[in-house]
Amino acid sequence: MVTHRQRPSPRRRPAAPLVLLGVLLALFLSACTAGGDTDSGGAADGPTYTIGTDSTFAPFEFRGPDGELTGIDVDLMEAIAEKQGFQVEWESIGFNAALQALSSDQVDGVIAGMGITDERAQVYDFSDPYFTSELQLAVPEGNDEITSWEDLEGKTVAVKTGSLSEDEAKKKQEEIDFELTSLDQSTTMVQTVKTGNADALMDDRPVLAYGVTQGSGLKLVAEPINTGNYGFAVNKGMNEQLLADFNAGLAELKESGEYDEIVAEYLGDAAGDGTPEPPSFFEMLTQIMPALLKGLQNTLLVTGIAFLAAMALGLLFGFMKVSGNVLLRGIANIFINVFRGTPLLVWAFFFYFGLPGIIGVPVNIWVAGVLTLALNGAAYIAEIVRGGIQSVDAGQAEAARSLGLGYGKTMRRVVLPQAFTIMTPSLINQLIIMLKDSSLLLAIGFAELLYQAQQVYASNFRVTEVLFIVAAIYFVAIWLLTQLANFVERKINK
Amino acid sequence: MKAPVNDTRPRPEAESAAPKIVVEDLHKHFGDNEVLKGIDATVAEGEVVCVIGPSGSGKSTFLRCLNRLEDLTSGRVLIGDDDLSDASVDIDEVRRRIGMVFQHFNLFPHLSVEENITLAPVELGLATKQEARATAQRLLERVGLGDKAQARPRSLSGGQKQRVAIARALAMSPEVMLFDEATSALDPEMVGEVLQVIRDLADEGMTMVLVTHEMGFAREVADRVMFMADGRIMEQDVPERIFDAPQTPRLQEFLSKVL
Repeated sequence: MVTHRQRPSPRRRPAAPLVLLGVLLALFLSACTAGGDTDSGGAADGPTYTIGTDSTFAPFEFRGPDGELTGIDVDLMEAIAEKQGFQVEWESIGFNAALQALSSDQVDGVIAGMGITDERAQVYDFSDPYFTSELQLAVPEGNDEITSWEDLEGKTVAVKTGSLSEDEAKKKQEEIDFELTSLDQSTTMVQTVKTGNADALMDDRPVLAYGVTQGSGLKLVAEPINTGNYGFAVNKGMNEQLLADFNAGLAELKESGEYDEIVAEYLGDAAGDGTPEPPSFFEMLTQIMPALLKGLQNTLLVTGIAFLAAMALGLLFGFMKVSGNVLLRGIANIFINVFRGTPLLVWAFFFYFGLPGIIGVPVNIWVAGVLTLALNGAAYIAEIVRGGIQSVDAGQAEAARSLGLGYGKTMRRVVLPQAFTIMTPSLINQLIIMLKDSSLLLAIGFAELLYQAQQVYASNFRVTEVLFIVAAIYFVAIWLLTQLANFVERKINK
Repeated sequence: MKAPVNDTRPRPEAESAAPKIVVEDLHKHFGDNEVLKGIDATVAEGEVVCVIGPSGSGKSTFLRCLNRLEDLTSGRVLIGDDDLSDASVDIDEVRRRIGMVFQHFNLFPHLSVEENITLAPVELGLATKQEARATAQRLLERVGLGDKAQARPRSLSGGQKQRVAIARALAMSPEVMLFDEATSALDPEMVGEVLQVIRDLADEGMTMVLVTHEMGFAREVADRVMFMADGRIMEQDVPERIFDAPQTPRLQEFLSKVL
């Protein structure tokens, strides 16, 4: 029997997983223009300041339908920047994350609808107040049971973690007996109330008023509580010039009336009861697709880069694990056990918030994201590599060695090509796991797909539909990846 | 400790030649298990030695010590002038001169038949790709597989695979060939074609050590038969005397079972 197969190059077969990778990466790159969630504004000259802000605090900061950052804080800051001649680079990473970033000098300042408190004034320097805040209670539109603070007796109230609403609610608890649920984002609070997991929520009046205009399905009840003022903050003793510029610019905007225009643009008919007709599902889908696709790009890109790095590291540690050297094996074991034995999120927080404190310079969010995914992935890939090498019949190496081939040549030409074929399905599986795990990076404010979805439903309040859409996008992306992987695998093992 | 009861020398023509392999007091342990308990042996140039014995007697381990696929626990193995017990010896260089054929063929499944044969000569810089391919074709014709150069190992029968494995070993122009139960994994109808190739090698004067269960073949092709049991060489002699006049009770018992 004569086979008509073309003589295959021995190098082509082991490289097949890499070919797959190359194809994927090419897809990511062609789909990607600029990464990250930074938007620059202001004049072309002057210093550039990195400003941290909340991710979902409409109307102070939120993503518009086009996926771009907008809101009262954003417009104010950029108007001031223009007047004072500096540029702004936004890090919209969530309220708590922004403050952590400020403390570790990852950002120069934070403007995030943040109340000026004595506690905060001890660790940050505040600007002149730029907004007077009130806290207000809100309940679902159809709820007539709760109309005053006293009606909260025996109920559950959602508040924002670490914010003034939490402090004030605790004060109220001294007079009225109700339960507190502390949540991280305004959207989550709204959703918690709408799903009945809390009876009411307490948040800043402008936030709630804006939500009503956007169809949040809530109504404002009870007397608002005056809670003082919002201020822009820099780290204690740092960025004095930025703070002075902010104060000067703010005064100028108030003088010219531009300040009122900006605020009115977002609050408008603040207490209006008229709920606008929400857009249809497909209108909404069209509106939010650009933002979600940008998130998908970042998801694919960070996963692709991290997978390449994880492959390199995983191969290295996998070889170390099968080496005869006790020290190398020991190092590989420690690496694998550490990264398999710790949650991904711990490392995401460590690389983004903890590491700058050690090395003294800020860590780029892409670097932190790639490191997190790559090191975790490398631990699993190292085990896949070890398993692949060890599952090649020992007789193969013996035959190669008995021909006089050295250890290196035996590995490279005989053992590894076969090991790679065995490893391919597991490697593809690992790639899919990493793609899904990349959604955890939203916790440090990395603008991947799920993070973008949060931004979207923070401003349109269509939580259920948006999450369905996101799940569908993930599913389709992973399904396509699996099909491609199966195709490549069939090619290899034919 | 010396086990041989009947230390008859090999055939005169082999006796006169220089020893190719010298084994002195070879011991091999696997953990606490002593598999070889002091082996002394010589193989002369051009000599064909068949090693027989019950399973677990250490014959395969003994063979694998001859190219140090197994590390030696103690004792010496000399291949020509090279002492395998010396850690500084270039073992890869020595192995080039010793071809080995395995029970399970161990062809490289990701390479074609031709690539199996040319891999080592080309990788080690002993031949250009073109020369190696010419050699491979010549060797394949010699083992009766001239039309299989581009085939994949998995498309071959067991007997064909083993003949390719022999061609692969021969491509290194070895001075010695070791066969580790080369026909044990074959279907009966394929044993003959492999034995024929080995027989041809013997006729050409190749120095060979064969661990085998084919008693008829051992009788026919061997210059000398070694009987091993319990990690020792119990008896060695020309085939006629081993098979027709066994001296030790162990060999008598063994032959009564296998013949």
